[in-house]
Amino acid sequence: MDELSAGARILNRTHVPDDAADVALAQSGDGHAFERLYRGHVARVHTLARRMTGPDHADELTQDVFVRAWEKLGTFRGEAAFGTWLHRLAVNLILSRRTRIGKDRQRFEGGDQALDLRSTAPPTTELAIDFETAIARLPNGARTVFVLHDVEGFRHDEIAHDLGIAVGTSKAQLHRARMLLRGHLEPKRRERGR
Amino acid sequence: MMSPDTWTARLSEYVDDQLDAAERGALEAHLAGCADCVETVADLRGVKVRASALTDRPPAGDLWGGIAARIGVSPAPIARQRPGPRRWTFTLPQLAAAGVALVVGGAGLFWAGRASLTDRVGVVAVEPGPGVVDAPRVRPAHARETYDRAIADLERVLAENRAGLDTATIRILEESLRTIDRAIARAREALAGDPSDSYLNTHLAETMRRKLDLLRRAAALATASS
Repeated sequence: MDELSAGARILNRTHVPDDAADVALAQSGDGHAFERLYRGHVARVHTLARRMTGPDHADELTQDVFVRAWEKLGTFRGEAAFGTWLHRLAVNLILSRRTRIGKDRQRFEGGDQALDLRSTAPPTTELAIDFETAIARLPNGARTVFVLHDVEGFRHDEIAHDLGIAVGTSKAQLHRARMLLRGHLEPKRRERGR
Repeated sequence: MMSPDTWTARLSEYVDDQLDAAERGALEAHLAGCADCVETVADLRGVKVRASALTDRPPAGDLWGGIAARIGVSPAPIARQRPGPRRWTFTLPQLAAAGVALVVGGAGLFWAGRASLTDRVGVVAVEPGPGVVDAPRVRPAHARETYDRAIADLERVLAENRAGLDTATIRILEESLRTIDRAIARAREALAGDPSDSYLNTHLAETMRRKLDLLRRAAALATASS
């Protein structure tokens, strides 16, 4: 997953200079420098964890990601921005825990009943505000692919590789997720999309 | 000839521009006569837009304490840290030669002899600070590479946006950079014979950070003006 969205690349470039000094210091054992890295990236990591696994596990996963980052910091060679490296590490760790967490969350095993795909009710502001909640209620596979593809900007072949599924399955899960979420668009954006 | 249901299943690929020309043409022909699919395409595009506009949100509570405990770092927040001496572990083993001390002041650089360095070492304590612990795998070479890459990135940004700075600012910037570069070179030279000298290491690291800060400010100025 080397390619990121244009926005993510710009953000990563922007952060390179600031991160570089702290990465260098943290690699030398400076805990305060690592804390600064944590504070600069915790929102992105926590949001990724929350969207992919739900709120119950996000704190624990975020802590695990940063502990793993500290342990692996010596292997960071600066070939990508620190944020890119950390994000890749976070995705790997979250995916590795996904199966166990999925078993803990029985509602994700249920699949389609989480959201009604056939819903044709007019979207309301309340629904629009809860777009994040709607993502959280997606079936496990659809949510994972949707977050990785539409939110994080990964390609289907990358997602398929990481999840051990066929590219066609990734496409099908994405379409399923979008169809489930279409009723949760706010009216204004729904109009704009036409 | 595909059925309408088949087309419905492929609307996301159409929205993502992942159909080949023949498929796209056939689907667009279908869309010309299917209001439901046109509406679905609009909704799918809307979902994509909504997803791309999502923003990150930090955790409700501060998770640093738990992380700090697990990696052996004091959980005291940066803002509440008491400024004070600490051991600097930003060592660059390839640096050489003791004998000259580097002092980076607010407005310039001052060089002191070995005797004054000896006096100053007592001021720069070597006790580990609360946040300084041994990293699992210290890679000084990588640290140096990371620093060099950051400097190169900033210099590139600055070069690309140099037109955004006025003449006086450029002159001051170049003079400051020359001074700092000399200081870094001398510090490395001075450390050649005593790479573990904490005082020299401290001031070398501070000087390198000063260069980063100077370049970062200049790049911000240049990009804001251009």
